[in-house]
Amino acid sequence: MSTAVSALRHVRGFDIARPLSITVMIGMMLPLVLLPLASIFMFGTSKGLASFWAALSAPEAVFALKLSMVTSFYATVFNVVFGLFAAYVLSRYNFWGRNALIVIISLPTAIPTAVAGFALLLLWGPYGTLGRLLAPQGVEVMFTAWAIVLANIFVTFPLAFGVIKPVFDTMSRSLEEASATIGATRWQTFWHVTLPSLRGAIVTGALLTFARAVGEFGSTILVSGNLTNRTQTAPLYIFAKFNEGQVEAANAIAIVLAILSFVIFSFLFIARDWLDAE
Amino acid sequence: MQAERTNAMLEQSNREAIDRAGNQSRGEIAASVRNLKKSFNKTIVLEDISFDIAEGESLVLLGASGSGKTTILRVIAGLEEPDGGRVVLHGRDVTELPARERGVGVIFQDYALFPRMTVEKNIAYGLRIRRRPRKEIKETVDRLLDLVHLKEHRKKYPSQLSGGQRQRVAIARTLAYNPQVLLFDEPFGALDAQTRVRLRREIRSLLKEVNVPALFITHDQEEALELGDRIAVLNAGRIEQIGTPDEVYNKPATEYVATFLGAANLLIGVVTGARVQIGNVSLFAGEEVEKFREGQSVKLVFRPEDACLSKTARLPANCRALTSGVVEEINFVGAYERLSVRLDFTSSRSKRDNLPFYSLADDDAEKPSGFPTLITRPKPEANAAPLATGDRVAVGLIAFRLLPNFTLASERASRTLDLQN
Repeated sequence: MSTAVSALRHVRGFDIARPLSITVMIGMMLPLVLLPLASIFMFGTSKGLASFWAALSAPEAVFALKLSMVTSFYATVFNVVFGLFAAYVLSRYNFWGRNALIVIISLPTAIPTAVAGFALLLLWGPYGTLGRLLAPQGVEVMFTAWAIVLANIFVTFPLAFGVIKPVFDTMSRSLEEASATIGATRWQTFWHVTLPSLRGAIVTGALLTFARAVGEFGSTILVSGNLTNRTQTAPLYIFAKFNEGQVEAANAIAIVLAILSFVIFSFLFIARDWLDAE
Repeated sequence: MQAERTNAMLEQSNREAIDRAGNQSRGEIAASVRNLKKSFNKTIVLEDISFDIAEGESLVLLGASGSGKTTILRVIAGLEEPDGGRVVLHGRDVTELPARERGVGVIFQDYALFPRMTVEKNIAYGLRIRRRPRKEIKETVDRLLDLVHLKEHRKKYPSQLSGGQRQRVAIARTLAYNPQVLLFDEPFGALDAQTRVRLRREIRSLLKEVNVPALFITHDQEEALELGDRIAVLNAGRIEQIGTPDEVYNKPATEYVATFLGAANLLIGVVTGARVQIGNVSLFAGEEVEKFREGQSVKLVFRPEDACLSKTARLPANCRALTSGVVEEINFVGAYERLSVRLDFTSSRSKRDNLPFYSLADDDAEKPSGFPTLITRPKPEANAAPLATGDRVAVGLIAFRLLPNFTLASERASRTLDLQN
């Protein structure tokens, strides 16, 4: 038996291990990843493109998609700016408690999103630590679009930071020093020298943050209140429509989200060389 | 017309160089460093460093890694703060100023060109952040591209250039804002041997052309000798000697300088009258002994190329007879011949003369005794008077130097004493 296998292994340069392992790998991915994705598309288009389009252009669907995009955009802008700033501070200055801060910044990835949403409710909710003080002022944060932005910021917090920080750490200091000796201020150096070197990391960090924020469900369903045409994001819409038995409506949005993430990751993969280029 | 002007300029700079070599205080001082001190975590890196760079002069800081030379450069550039001492550029004390207000040009070891800017943008950077008019920027960039011969590469990015081209961009980038002094940090460290030699010459003539004072940091003695109008030899945070290449090479002030700059042989002797006694050999030392007391222990230092060899006892007229020795090893190293000669200081006569008459001694029984030294001869001389291993030769010295020998003092103490001489 074993001799038969080993005889198969090298027949005139033909290595059976190669096609075998590729087939096994794809075979494993098929039911786990590829088929679920494929079934969204097959189901979505099974009743024709017209019904797909109708499901997609329903006002609630359009609103949910828009809300998802807008809240994710705000969260992305905030987290990229903050991630850039935090990476700068934490890689340039050494201070007591620096490592603890690095761990804390990275923590949200490890916290279940439902817990994150719950934590936000406990802080900002009408009976929460901060919310209690704001409520008499007529300021209500929870169950509004801002709550979704807050939830998105929380769960995607470490993503941009995690991409930008290593670039900061490995960046040659001599570029910034050269800029300083040439006569540039700190701000000019940052703008003309440091920032261009971070281009790739910033784009990557932003896209990862956005992709993650658009799909966020666990925390948003807790903090948003899931109100149609007010605080219902695309993933919440899918969940709601599915619960109502409107599988076509849910599926149309699912297709859009799947395509969006596919586009983002394809771009990251294709543009990798451009992003890394020195 | 252009050539005439260049010639006149070169002549002038030559004259200036000669003036400087003759009288260092005559040139106007462009940069000066006074009593710099610096330590990192209680390790002393710089210990009371002082030197001046004259207008248009190139000074080389030569030292092994860890001698503190890069720290000096960073202190002058304003990238590092000294614990004590002053940095003065053209009469202005800049010790407290940040790097960007000092107006020095630093050519970093890795050149530190901005990777996302083209060659011309890199060169224009200094003027752009100074918000100069566009016309002026363009003119300056054109002039500098011409100067460093990179006109056809102006639209390229640093990653598309060779090492030498990158270095020229780095130099042009600093020249754009008329720096008070150029600081070169190990400028040829990242290049191969051939490019290094070529670039050295290029930079030397470029500096003469623009007449900007320069400070070079290097650990390569050949580089130091070629680039520097003067050389400062650094050891463990102190300047051991500062002088023209000729001075530091031919008149080393300390043993460290003698051995760091090229090869040197060291012999230990005692001053007796106008002579130095080494074993039972004595050598006329003339004016060299003036600095020493009678009976003082000294080190006699000589370069491998300053010895002359002869199979007959006759040595050239300019060569002071030292002793005889046995050739142990001969190597041909390209342009010259390198010999290892064991010098005999226990007896001025050949061993065989002293043998008792009943001994059946044979010639090849000569035991390796004496002091091994390294001697080189240029090719023509080696061809004219060929030697073989085992030959007994008379050895004389054309030039040598006497240094005090502090056998009992620690290295640091002996260095301090050395410097007082």
